[in-house]
Amino acid sequence: MLRYVIRRILMLIGIIFVISIGSFFLIHLLPGNITAVIEGPGASPENQAKLYKLLGLNRPIYEQYFVWINNILHGNLGTSFISQTSVATTIGNALPIDLEMMFLSQILAFAAAIPMAMRSARKPDGIVDRFFSAGSFTMLSVPPFIVVILLVLFVTYKLGIPHTGPSSYVSLRADLIGNLESMALPAITLALGSFVIYFRVLRSDLIATLQEEFITMARSKGISQRRIMWRHAFRPSSVALLGAAGVNIGGLLAGGFVVQYLLNIPGLGYTLIASINTDDYLLVQGIVLVVSVGVVLINFIFDFIINIVDPRISRE
Amino acid sequence: MSVTPEKLLVVNDLSTTFATAGGPLPAVANVSFDLMRNETIGIVGESGSGKTVLSRTIMGLQPRTNVTVTGSVLLNGSEMVGTTESFKRGLWGTEVAMVFQDPMTSLNPVMRIGKQIDETLRVRLGMSKQDAKARAIELLELVGIPSPSQRYDAFPGQLSGGMRQRVVIAIALACSPKLLMADEPTTGLDVTIQAQILNLLDELKERLHMSVVLVTHDLGVVATRTSRIVVMYAGRIVEIGSTRDVFANHRMPYTRALLESSPKVSNASHTRLITIPGRPPNLLKLTQGCSFAPRCAYASDKCHQERPELQQADQPGHSFACWNPLPITRGDSAS
Repeated sequence: MLRYVIRRILMLIGIIFVISIGSFFLIHLLPGNITAVIEGPGASPENQAKLYKLLGLNRPIYEQYFVWINNILHGNLGTSFISQTSVATTIGNALPIDLEMMFLSQILAFAAAIPMAMRSARKPDGIVDRFFSAGSFTMLSVPPFIVVILLVLFVTYKLGIPHTGPSSYVSLRADLIGNLESMALPAITLALGSFVIYFRVLRSDLIATLQEEFITMARSKGISQRRIMWRHAFRPSSVALLGAAGVNIGGLLAGGFVVQYLLNIPGLGYTLIASINTDDYLLVQGIVLVVSVGVVLINFIFDFIINIVDPRISRE
Repeated sequence: MSVTPEKLLVVNDLSTTFATAGGPLPAVANVSFDLMRNETIGIVGESGSGKTVLSRTIMGLQPRTNVTVTGSVLLNGSEMVGTTESFKRGLWGTEVAMVFQDPMTSLNPVMRIGKQIDETLRVRLGMSKQDAKARAIELLELVGIPSPSQRYDAFPGQLSGGMRQRVVIAIALACSPKLLMADEPTTGLDVTIQAQILNLLDELKERLHMSVVLVTHDLGVVATRTSRIVVMYAGRIVEIGSTRDVFANHRMPYTRALLESSPKVSNASHTRLITIPGRPPNLLKLTQGCSFAPRCAYASDKCHQERPELQQADQPGHSFACWNPLPITRGDSAS
């Protein structure tokens, strides 16, 4: 187990190194001259050349990379040329919003998916299973941007609760209830998408596990059906679920921007779109780096959890 | 119907039929036998003869859906057929327990073996955590697992097949069942381990005063360990009697074929084993006649048209189902 973890950590460092190179050069692939953007329209070529030198862009590219990575390792992601604020601070303000949104949505998704998959798997193709499966399949085929719009319509017109407006987001520190109110719709939207995946993966694995001989053996001990489901069937069935959760949560970190944009939640996704629109290169670069490292870390953590859940994996 | 105290198990006209896409599949048909206290009975037959389904039906462990069970199984006075799962749950573990065929698949791979033994003790006997752990370690010791308190924390994948089967036995014995169903308990194991496990079962049976139903395809296994043998073919009993009668005075050609196909120590080395021609019948397409007739050297027209019922042989307790039984004077050439 320890050897496995060490090997994974070494791999992780390698992957993060590759990501850092990728996001560094990503900026260099962008068309246009950075100095023209900073100086604004009508900048003289002399001033541009001066700035070019000031920024160190005349130095060899590998030197630029080492300066850049050294700064990043010291927590300095640079200062935006557009807003004149530290990129690290901007990201630091946005990231907790993503984390909270993710946390809430995943709690909701698991809380619904696990008991429903348990119930479905007990009698595959029974009435309950058919109902749940059909429902989840319907949700699977509706993309989140449609779900968001339908949810907003439902909440405002059917329930009569006014929603949205550009400043609807309330920070967690300011007001807990207000924060949860503003987070409810995005969390539910993301939860629905995650729920469908978790329910389907867990259901099919549970059905397979329940065919196993050790389940019959557990039955022969005279223990309750409930105990068989939770103590014997759930854990060996949750490996694919955890794998799916790792990929999905990583995807939410990178791909939650549609929901954030539609609902005015100033998380990383929202900030990323805004920074792309304003050519804020450094901010784009910083967010890409943070999100990529985040995705890798999340997958690493889930890999680790899977190993604890199923000790057979690291043994071979 | 009351049970005489000596009889722990009375199986009467038991049938198990699976509903399949191809129609009803009679895996076990009209099986009757009984079992005394402290007795070991062997159930033998080829793969697919219905042995495993029979042993699971006796225990009430058949699948929950697409299966019909008729007849009666009286276990220590309690009827098992037609009762609810929760009623049977009250008997599983304490009255009857099962040792499964393949220890590679019958233990939960992601649960420490100690927990798998504990669970039964805590749920079924209401033991405290500490008591259950102490008892579990005792049980591991009882089934011959070295350094049991360390093995308690092992996962099944860290143990060999023989060790795992010992764990399975320990789980089965946890609540001191009166009847132990052993379904091919050595099939998944190396030959050298097989004897160890069988001897262990024998020894535990004596020590704990259990009755044992030993299901196997290997007549060598049952020869010295059982007092009576049930021979099954295509879901039916074709011969039943004391172990001595079945080995020495069998009347059913199928029993002889089974005996001849098992290797004997007295054979010269490299003796070719006699095999039974053909294969077990498709249970979806059974004829009206004897199921063994298509493979039987003695089959007559009658065998193909009418199924023979079990009939009494000369010795008490010995019956066979055959229209053209083997002559009685076969003596003890077999075994």
